[in-house]
Amino acid sequence: MSDDELRIHPLNLTAQIDHRAAGNPPSTLPESAISNAYPGLEFDIRNIWRRLLVGIELHEADNYVVDADADHERLKGRRLLAVAGHDVIGDLVGPTRPGADPGPLTSAVNPDGVMMLEWSNSLADVLADHAGETVTCLFTSGPAPNPVGKPAKVPDPSVEEVELEVRSLFAHSEAAGGPLPVIAEEMAGPGDLTRGLCSPWQNDYRECACYYWAASRPDYVNVELTGLGTSTGNHWFAKDREPREYVLDNRTDSRLVSYDDLFRDWQGRLRFIVGGDDAPEHVETEPGDR
Amino acid sequence: MTARELFEASGPVHPDVHLLRTEDGPRVLLADGSRLFGVGQALHDRLDAARRDPDPRVLDALLADLGVDAPRQIDDTTPDPPPVRALSLAVAQKCNLGCTYCYAQQGDFGGPAKNMPAATAFTAVDTLFRQAAPGERVNLAFLGGEPMMNRPVVRAATEYAEVVSGRTGVPVTFSITTNGTLLTPEDGEFFEDHAFAVTISLDGVGARHDLLRPHRDGLSSYQRIMDRVAPLLVAQRRMQVSARVTVTPLNLDLPRTLDEFTAAGFHGVGFSPMLSSPNGRGEMALADLEVMLDQMTACGEEFVRRVLAGRRYPFTNLATALREIHRGTHRPYPCGAGAGYLGVSADGDLAACHRFVGDEDGAMGDLAGGVDDVKRARWLTDRHVHRQEPCNGCWARYLCGGGCHHEVINRGRPACEYIRGWLHHCLTVYSRVLAARPDYFAG
Repeated sequence: MSDDELRIHPLNLTAQIDHRAAGNPPSTLPESAISNAYPGLEFDIRNIWRRLLVGIELHEADNYVVDADADHERLKGRRLLAVAGHDVIGDLVGPTRPGADPGPLTSAVNPDGVMMLEWSNSLADVLADHAGETVTCLFTSGPAPNPVGKPAKVPDPSVEEVELEVRSLFAHSEAAGGPLPVIAEEMAGPGDLTRGLCSPWQNDYRECACYYWAASRPDYVNVELTGLGTSTGNHWFAKDREPREYVLDNRTDSRLVSYDDLFRDWQGRLRFIVGGDDAPEHVETEPGDR
Repeated sequence: MTARELFEASGPVHPDVHLLRTEDGPRVLLADGSRLFGVGQALHDRLDAARRDPDPRVLDALLADLGVDAPRQIDDTTPDPPPVRALSLAVAQKCNLGCTYCYAQQGDFGGPAKNMPAATAFTAVDTLFRQAAPGERVNLAFLGGEPMMNRPVVRAATEYAEVVSGRTGVPVTFSITTNGTLLTPEDGEFFEDHAFAVTISLDGVGARHDLLRPHRDGLSSYQRIMDRVAPLLVAQRRMQVSARVTVTPLNLDLPRTLDEFTAAGFHGVGFSPMLSSPNGRGEMALADLEVMLDQMTACGEEFVRRVLAGRRYPFTNLATALREIHRGTHRPYPCGAGAGYLGVSADGDLAACHRFVGDEDGAMGDLAGGVDDVKRARWLTDRHVHRQEPCNGCWARYLCGGGCHHEVINRGRPACEYIRGWLHHCLTVYSRVLAARPDYFAG
C-alpha cells in the first residue's frame, strides 16, 4: 500500500490532537509532554510563553527581556515583574541551615530574595482572561541582569508601567471564523518548540539535582567501611575507581566526567550496567575501523 | 438513508472501529477518543478487512502504521465520585396532568403526594454550594411532579441560591422542567430575571399532545399550555424556553411538531423516545423506533438545509450531537447521574437523578446525613459502560454511554439499533457540515 493510500485526514478535535503525523515519533503526542520549568523530551512547551506580550520577547525560564522591537527597545535587558496584576516573581523563603526557622533567602546576586515563577503558572490566567487585550505590565526601570523584587508601592522610580497587548495562544482561522487547535505562529515559530530539548544522557544526567528521572542515581558509590569507622568510595561521576576518593563536584575537574566527555561519548562514558554486569570497557573506534 | 439502511450500516462489527460512507468520502470513527478521520477508498477497504480479521494484531498493526494508536482515553478504572455540581429538587411530588407513561406515576412516584418544604430546599442549596470549588459553576434544577405546584419554594430556593452564590463567588445557573399549565406572566419575569433554562413538556401539536398529556380529569391541556407559554416565548432574552417531546407510538409526526414549535418561538426542540414506563404504556418497540429514526433524519435534512444557508434551526438533538462529535466527546457514562448530578426528593432523600426519587436502586444518602459517597462509588463502578452488555462490543459506547440508567435498569436496552442508526446519521451530517460550513463549528 502506498503512502498516499495510507493517508488519513483528522476531522474532529480529538482526532486532530491525538493524531501522530507521518514520520513523527510516538513522543510527539501531547500526553507525553513535560510542561513545567524544565524542557521536555519531545517539545519544550515553555517556549510558547516567550512572545505572549506583543513587542517583547522573554526568556523561556526567566523573567528577563531578551529582545524587543523598535518601539520597545528600551525594555531589552530589563525584568518583567507583573502582568495585569499578576506577579511573575515570588519571594524565596526557607531555612538556611538544618533545623533553623525559615527566612528570606537572599544572596549577593539576589539581594531581594525573589525568583521567577514558571510562566505556565504565572501567566495562565493572563492568557485566559486577557488574550487580545492590552494590559499593564510592570518592568524594572533599567537593565537588571540579576533578580529584582517588586517595590512595596507603585509608582516607584525603580519600576515602569508599560501597556502591552496579550497574544492569543491558538491560531485564528479566517475560513472557520474562530480558533484552530494549533498554536499561533506568532507565539512559536517553526523550530521554537523543539529548540533546547532535554538531552538526558549528555546533559540532564549530570545537571539535574531534583527528582527528574535522569537525576535518580546515588551520589556516593563503591562505598566501603574502613576500620576507623569512616568510609571510602567514589564520586558518582569519577572516571576511575582508583584512587578511591570523593572528589568535590567540579565540572572542570579532569578526574570527573565532564559535559564535553558526555556530549562526545555518553554511551561509552556512562558504562551502563547490563544484566547486572558492568558493561565491557568501551573501546572507541574510528568510523574507518568498522 | 432510510432507517432500515441506517440500522444495517451502523451494525456493530468491531468495538473500536466504525466505518461510514459519506458524500464527502469514506470516514472512520475510532471509538476511543471519538476520533473521526477521512480516508481513501483503499484504506477504508483495508480497515474493513482488518476489523473483521480474527487475528486482532492485524488491526492493531494497521492503526499503528496510521499513527492513531494513541494510549486509551478510557479504561476500566472507575473515577472517584466528583464533587456534586448539579441538584434537581422534586419540589412537588404531585401533578395536575395524568400523562399515560409518566416515570413519576402522575407525579407522586407511587407514594403520597407532597410538597418540598422551603427548609429542605435551602438545605439542598447549601449542600450544592458546599462541594463547589472557586471557579466552578453549579446548577439548580426544579422538577417534580409539576414543580409549579410549589411555586413559593421554587422562588425561595432560587433567591436563596443567588444569595449563597454572591457570598461564595460560585456562579449558579437555574433550570426547570414544567408541564406549562400553571405558568403566569410573573413566572416568566422571574425566570427571565434569573436566566432560567425552561423546558416545557409538549408531546406534539394539539390533539396529539392531548392524547398523551391530558389533565387528570381527561380534559385537553395543549391550548392552555401554549397560551401560558406564549408570554415566556416573547420575553426570553436571558432565559431560554425549550420544548421536550417524549415520543411514543402515538406521536411520531416529528417534522410537523418541530416546525410548529420552531414557528412558535421555542429556543430548542428535543425528541426523546419513551423506552420505559411504569405500566409499559407508550413504550416504543423496534418497529416504532424505525419510524422515529426516519422522522428524525427528515428533521435532520431540514436542519442541514437551513444550516448550509446560514440559518438557525432549533433541532436540539442534532445540534447537540454535532457539537459533541466535533469535540470528540467520549465518556463511559450516559450522563452525570449518580456522579456530579443528584436528585433530591421532597423529603430530602438523595437519588442518582430526578427519575430515581423514592427508588432504592438509585438511593444516594440524604440531606441530613450528606451524600453517600460509598453508594456513589458503587454506582459509578456498576454503571461504567465497560461493565454493560452488549455495550462492550459496540463502537457507539463512548458516544451513547450505555443509555439512560433508569430506562436500562427497568427495561434493558431495546433501542440500540435506533441509537446507533441516529449516531451514524449524525456522523454523516457532521462530515457534510464540516466540509460545507466549517464556520458552524467555530467558537
